[in-house]
Formats: sequence, structure tokens, C-alpha cells
Amino acid sequence: MSTAPAMTAAVRATPLMDGLIARTVAHGLPLSVHFDLTYRCNERCVHCYLDHEDYGELSTAEVERVLEELAAAGTLFLTLSGGEIFLRHDLERILATARRLHFDVSLKTNALLLTQQRAARLRELGVRRVQISIYSDEPAVHDAITKVPGSLERSLAAIPLLRAAGIQVKLACPLMKQNLTAYRGVMALAEKHGAGYILDLTITPMIDGSTGPVQHRVDAGALLPVLQDPALHSCGRMAPGETDRELSPGLSAMGSSVSSGIESDAYEDLPCSAGHNTCYISPYGEVTACVQLPLSAGNVRQESFQSIWHGGAGLERVRAVRESQLPLCAKCGIRRFCERCPGLAWMEGGDLLGAYERACELAEQKARLAGMRDAESAWHAAQRNAEKCIEASGSEPDSEFVGNSRRG
Amino acid sequence: MPDNQPGTLWTRNPALAWREIEGRTMIISPTDSVLHELNDTGSFIWKLLDGVHSAEAIAARLVQEYEVDPEVARADTNALVGMLAAQKLLLRAAEPAPGATRP
Repeated sequence: MSTAPAMTAAVRATPLMDGLIARTVAHGLPLSVHFDLTYRCNERCVHCYLDHEDYGELSTAEVERVLEELAAAGTLFLTLSGGEIFLRHDLERILATARRLHFDVSLKTNALLLTQQRAARLRELGVRRVQISIYSDEPAVHDAITKVPGSLERSLAAIPLLRAAGIQVKLACPLMKQNLTAYRGVMALAEKHGAGYILDLTITPMIDGSTGPVQHRVDAGALLPVLQDPALHSCGRMAPGETDRELSPGLSAMGSSVSSGIESDAYEDLPCSAGHNTCYISPYGEVTACVQLPLSAGNVRQESFQSIWHGGAGLERVRAVRESQLPLCAKCGIRRFCERCPGLAWMEGGDLLGAYERACELAEQKARLAGMRDAESAWHAAQRNAEKCIEASGSEPDSEFVGNSRRG
Repeated sequence: MPDNQPGTLWTRNPALAWREIEGRTMIISPTDSVLHELNDTGSFIWKLLDGVHSAEAIAARLVQEYEVDPEVARADTNALVGMLAAQKLLLRAAEPAPGATRP
């Protein structure tokens, strides 16, 4: 038996990642974990889905124990976020522990508290990438969203500090009513600073289910000029060499700035990575499949991560979902234009398997742009049929054809 | 070319992220974000590259573990160490650690 080749590949692109994703899904390993260390924040963004009070965050020792458990479970990609991550005074110690355990670490931050010294320290502690929330290149627009005067200037000042320290930077720009036309400016900022970027049309309900932030969401019809912009579909969002498929050059600039799941064709009939090889941990220890899918599978304060990952009912529910078996969406004629998110299906429609209006509206817009003049989602068609049914008989239609049962 | 002389001690670059997943070791360098993969024997060697075990000592362990020809084990170990060192995934251990295994 020969040991060669001991090193199978050293590649920059996606086939290796796809192979890794396929293996971790097949074996049920938590390859990537998004761990919010705090919900406290020094900004008050109008669209934020978090409650910024501290209800008892995991202690330093608890976080470190969880990191040990994640390493033992096979997690490689670790995203630490908040809230504002730099409000955790033990962040350096936590990063040092993550470094000792060989995680690939990314941070999400508004960067208001970032200094040259901190940037250098992040590099020493092995942080590979930092995602910064930027809503516009215009201070008046950005600062009105964050409700912190001067915040754009401070956030932008952090970018060259991080770049000089050798850390990759990615700008995340959720688009809402207040900044819909700002994306071109954010793209220019990213180019100027040698940073990647992601534009996100997803404005989600609060994590407790309340819908306040949704009022800032742009109507699907008003998104047409954005969806038509060729700049969003021909650009490279990130420097070559990224290991993440979501950052591969040539893909659409649109994506989720919230989720840390890894996009890949390797998921095949699965809706996404959530619960299969990725999950989310809240500052209070709750484990869910994704930050956008708040179905608790357990709490790391009560049991080990491994026990939750392999036995949590909340994860099993999510893992059972197959795209081809979605009762309504699987039959939808414009499915290929749809970016249905199971978390938002749950948050907005109350049904992991159901359709939800926002996804259907966006899919219809995209289908029309592609030349399908009468594009209609299966959900809207079912609603239309149901209305006809009520008009005709005066009775309630079969709920299966309506698709969703509203939560709460 | 890295100086991979007999007896040279190498250690994993501490800046790397890495994890052994289902028998294969995935390695990411934060400087260039390149993902590397080692197969099972590569992973076996990787874990012994600790600044204590020389390439010769690792090859000897490989012979024990996988029952391969000593010459093949030595050649493959040296080849892998050379490749990893060339890509700065390995660093030369500053000084032979106390108790370092020598051939």
C-alpha cells in the first residue's frame, strides 16, 4: 500500500468545498456554526430583528466549553457575531480559545469600536474575515438607519485598518426603503477598499416573531429596477481564493447577510445548509438550525452541543424537509426563480413546508424579468382559486390549497 | 525550496485553521483563504508534525500504522512535508524540542 498521494489537492475554487459539504451533510456534521455572543448593540438599526437587552449571556467559561464541544463535533467554520461583538469584553480570550482549537473564524460587526491595535490583534488571533454592515455611502442615509450620528465614517475607517492587518473585509448591505438605491455606492466602496460585498433584500421579522422591522421592507414591485441592474449579476463580489461558494466570483451579488450557511449545489434536494451541516447558537445558549429559524433544539446550558445536534427535535423537523416534497412549492411553475427560505417560511407563514408571500412575489418579479409575462406562483394561484371557490360556494376552501396556516 | 534535510523538525503553522473531518484533514490558510485537503495518511502525518517528530520518525510510525514499505513511507512523508512547507503550512521548529525523536 502506498501512502501517496497524501495531499489530494490544494485548490482555491469550489469542488473541494462541494466535496466537504457533501460529506458533512451525509455524515451529519456541523461544519459551520454561527454563534452570537451578545444581542447588545451600540447601534439601533431600524430594521434589526434583535432585542438588545441582556437576559443573561453565556459566560466566558460557558462559551469556551461550547467551543471545545464544537471542535470535537467537527466544526471548522465559526462565525462570531451579535449584536455588536466588540461589546463582549472577553472577545480576545474567546478568540484565543478559538485559535487554539483551530477554527476558521469570521466576525460580523458594525466596526464602530475597531482600532488599529484591535485590527492587528484580530490578525494575531487568526480571524480570517470581518463582515461590516454598511447601508449606504451617504452618511445621512447610513446614520439614519443606525441612529448613530457619525457611524458611517467610523465604520468605513475600520476597513483600511483591517485590510492593512491582512484581514479580508466584506460589506453587508441589507436593502430597505431607506436605502434601496444605495447599493451602487456600497459596491463602489467595496471596490475602493478591496473588499467583498453582499446585498440583501431580506428584512426579517423580530426574532420573537413580531413584525416591526418588516415595515421597512421594499415592496416587491419597487425592486424591479434593482433586479434589472446588470451590475448585480456580472460582478465578482470577492477576491479570488475564497473558500466559500457564496463568495465565488460571478455569482449574483444578492444573498443573505444574516445567515452564515454555505451555499452550494451539493445540498441537492435540501432547502439549504440549516440543520444539516450548519446551525446557530444564541447568546443565551439556544441552538437552532439557523438564526432565521428560531425553533429551539436545546440549550447548551442544559446539555452538550453534541447531544443537541444529534437529538434535538427542532433540528429533526428542519432536517426532514425536502424541496421536492414541499406540498405547494414543489409544483410551482416559477420555482427556479424562487429563493424560498425555510426559516422565513416558518417566521412569516408559520409553516416550514409552506410558501410565503415575499418569496412568491420576488419569484414572480424575477420570472417576469426573464420573459414570463404572466408569471404566477403556485401560492398566488391557489389563493386566487380559493377566492373563486368562496365566491362560488360561500364555503371555506380546502386549507391544503391555501398553503399556509398562520402562526400565533 | 524549503530546507527539508534529514532531521529537520517541522511544526504546523499556528496561523492555520484545520479540522480532521471523516478521516480527512481540511486546512485553511487565513492569508490566502485557500482550502487544502489531506487524505487519511496525510492526516496521520499532519498530526505528527508537531515540532517533535522528524520526518524519519513519522515515516517509521507510518510503517507501523499502515504496514507500508519503509522506503515508500519515507519518500511519501518527505514529499508531503516538502509540499506543505513550500506552501507555508509548516514552519521549521525553532529549536529541537526536548525529547525530540531522532532517527
